[in-house]
Amino acid sequence: MTGTTKQNSLKKEFAEIGTTFRDGDWKTRISYLILGFGPILRGQFAKGFSLLAGEVLFFVYLFRFGLGYLAKFNTLGTVETQKIHRKTVYGDNSFFILLFGLLTIVIIAAFIFLWRMNVRENRNEEERLKAGKKLPTNKKVLASLLDDNFDKTLLALPCLGIFVFTVLPILFMICVAFTNYDKSHQSPTHLFTWVGLKNFQSLFSFGGAGFGSTFLKVLLWTLVWALFATFLDYFLGLAVAMLINKKGIKFKKLWRTILVMTIAVPQFVSLLYVSKMFANDGLINATLLKWGWIKKAIPFWTNPTLAKITIIVVNIWIGIPYMMLIATGLLMNIPADLYESARIDGANAGQMFRYITLPYMLFVTGPFLLTQYTGNLNNFNVIYLLSGGGPQSLSMAGNAGSTDLLVTWLYKMTVTDTNYKMAAVIGIMVFVVTAVISLVVYNMLPSVKDEEGFQ
Amino acid sequence: MKKNAVSVLFAGIAAASLLAGNLVPVMAEEETTESADPALYDGKEVKVWVADAAVDFTNDEIAKFQEEYPQYAGVTFTVEPVGEGDAATNVITDVESAADVYGFAQDQIARLVSAGALEEVNPDYVDDVTERNDEGSVNAATVGDTLYAYPLTSDNGYFLYYDSSVVTDPSDLDKILSDCESAGKNFYMEINSGWYQTAFFFGTGCDLSYETDTDGNFTSCTTDYASDKGVAALKEIIKLAGSSAFQNGSSANNATDYAAIVDGTWDQDTIKQAFGDNFACAKLPSFTTDDGETYQLSGFSGYKLLGVKPQEDEDKLQICDDLANYLSDEEAQLDRYKTVGWGPSNLNAQQDDDVQDDAALTALKDQMQYDVPLGQYPSEYWDLAKGLGDDVIQGKLTADSSDDDLIAALQTFEDTCKSYASAE
Repeated sequence: MTGTTKQNSLKKEFAEIGTTFRDGDWKTRISYLILGFGPILRGQFAKGFSLLAGEVLFFVYLFRFGLGYLAKFNTLGTVETQKIHRKTVYGDNSFFILLFGLLTIVIIAAFIFLWRMNVRENRNEEERLKAGKKLPTNKKVLASLLDDNFDKTLLALPCLGIFVFTVLPILFMICVAFTNYDKSHQSPTHLFTWVGLKNFQSLFSFGGAGFGSTFLKVLLWTLVWALFATFLDYFLGLAVAMLINKKGIKFKKLWRTILVMTIAVPQFVSLLYVSKMFANDGLINATLLKWGWIKKAIPFWTNPTLAKITIIVVNIWIGIPYMMLIATGLLMNIPADLYESARIDGANAGQMFRYITLPYMLFVTGPFLLTQYTGNLNNFNVIYLLSGGGPQSLSMAGNAGSTDLLVTWLYKMTVTDTNYKMAAVIGIMVFVVTAVISLVVYNMLPSVKDEEGFQ
Repeated sequence: MKKNAVSVLFAGIAAASLLAGNLVPVMAEEETTESADPALYDGKEVKVWVADAAVDFTNDEIAKFQEEYPQYAGVTFTVEPVGEGDAATNVITDVESAADVYGFAQDQIARLVSAGALEEVNPDYVDDVTERNDEGSVNAATVGDTLYAYPLTSDNGYFLYYDSSVVTDPSDLDKILSDCESAGKNFYMEINSGWYQTAFFFGTGCDLSYETDTDGNFTSCTTDYASDKGVAALKEIIKLAGSSAFQNGSSANNATDYAAIVDGTWDQDTIKQAFGDNFACAKLPSFTTDDGETYQLSGFSGYKLLGVKPQEDEDKLQICDDLANYLSDEEAQLDRYKTVGWGPSNLNAQQDDDVQDDAALTALKDQMQYDVPLGQYPSEYWDLAKGLGDDVIQGKLTADSSDDDLIAALQTFEDTCKSYASAE
């Protein structure tokens, strides 16, 4: 259905461009080639000249810079680097061809948009003049940038920033997933080129040196980890907050302060320290050995299962204080009369938690839980600083370890293995996993389904 | 009234991209002349990467270098601290902004050559460099048939440091372990590293080597890990990992409560402090299998090399070649030994009295006769070896594993090693 409406609106666009040309005067018609021609002749200098400047800049960019890259975009370069005597003469740089080729495509799209605006502007002006109305003065047009159109003035710079620093790199990364950009195809000395879906095939190829089974293992652990990290922290944090909130508990502030101390120390420091502490030759093992409680060091980081458990436990220690702080505030917000009437009806503490506290908390913190979950899917710090993704195994491909998340695996691929193509593929998979989970869970949240639930 | 804002926006994008375009290096193809006119070199900038400890030393050497080569007086040299282990990765990640002359660990050379980040040694210097350095270091700097780097040191090997009050017989691994166990002290060896692991496999006579072509691509792999010799080595690794004294690691700075550690010359000072008067070092021990066979532990002997990045400017290349040559000659190597403590690869410098008297270097020299000079290995090998070691440490391969299981694991290892060579 949306497809047909889109088709219709596209048809309308073309129809409008056509009729504007057919019914327009000569000024409008020339504007189809020379942007802003009509507005300038009609005295709309501000608009006309900016349109014209846009066109001039576009063609200067295209012919002096963009076209060269765009022409090689389909091969990403063919000229190899050469040696002339002892001098190195670099050939095509696939990296820049891909980057600036993409940029040029986006700029061409932007120019088409500008051209379309130019057509519409001509049509609007003609219609206004035919209806006997006056066109706004140039001063008014410029002043509107600080008034009616102030939003656009303000947003111009942020939009440009987002495009250059976020959109373009993302497009670039997506493209890399379809190339053979890796350590043996490294710019500027070597070329890389398009390989289609080959990298995705190797991600899903099982057996031998294929990434398939490793990818599934890492993906499964990523999901399990995020589940534990989110919900254990959530419920334990809630429990601690309720415990401290309870009447009769003394030194409430002291307990809170002790817990919040873990936030005060930067995670980098505390995690590295904890990692060292639990090592085979670390403080904990050494002490237990000395006391004679154990005969052999407990392999906290070197046994895959134990490493996973240790990471989850350490993460609880880091996560509880945050949740406790949030829960403390929220618990105080639950209307006391709810509890009071429950008590009169004879509900016990467990029932009150089950039917009042928990639904309320889940309702209020639903979106928070979701962001926590997606955040934990990409929780680089905890994993990388504690276990470094290890232990590795012969049965895992691509340098992955048993506690690697997709994101730490991606990091290893880029930094230690210079395997950009597979890293880009993993990056896309991370996005897919995160997006699917977020969208599905978001629509199931009580706070989304029933906004009025706790009014 | 959308158009105004958008046209402003658009003009901005175009301007930004033009600006970005200017940042792309222009490939100048100017002709160069052969004359040594000092003005030719004035204003050129040469960036040097060396290990943190050697920065001051290198600055001093460069000052001397400029005195000896007056034509380079106008050249600006900058020395930045980048460890030999990281240098290759940093250079490969961004060749254009990387240093022009950089020190690196020799296991990285194939990677650098295949990424096109290493220039061949100046033909004028090849014979000289080949003659003045020991054979192992020259082989290490050679890829295919081409000499790609200037050997700096010949001390990248490992041997045994031990506390003589605990370890009574440093020549037998089992005795060392039992001494450490009864003293409640640790024995460190990094068995999940492809670098230390070979001590066992090469010790029992296994082979693992790669052939490369001149471009640094791996063309073939020779290995026989999946054999009786491999199983004997793997069993010993498992036995070692099963000892309560064993700790996996090779960094003396991070080690605790140890009486013996397999480590290299770079950690000598730390270990000296830890052991005090009981400091002692020796070649690696031997071990005896259940069948009664005794094997001497082997290992890799490695080298530090100095490389030059490919240059688009032949004059600058000349400066870099001269500098690399100067920084790696006999005098510089001897100075480097005296100031930073790195063992020379230069044959004459090795004969120096101080070098001869150095306990650690002597132990290393004893060990090196059993070692295999580190050739070229694909970077994936190191990951794979970590996997093998981790499988032992995490108990996937244990003393209870049958010989068939061990052979199967080694077969996987061998097949994967071979797969790196055929891959483009």
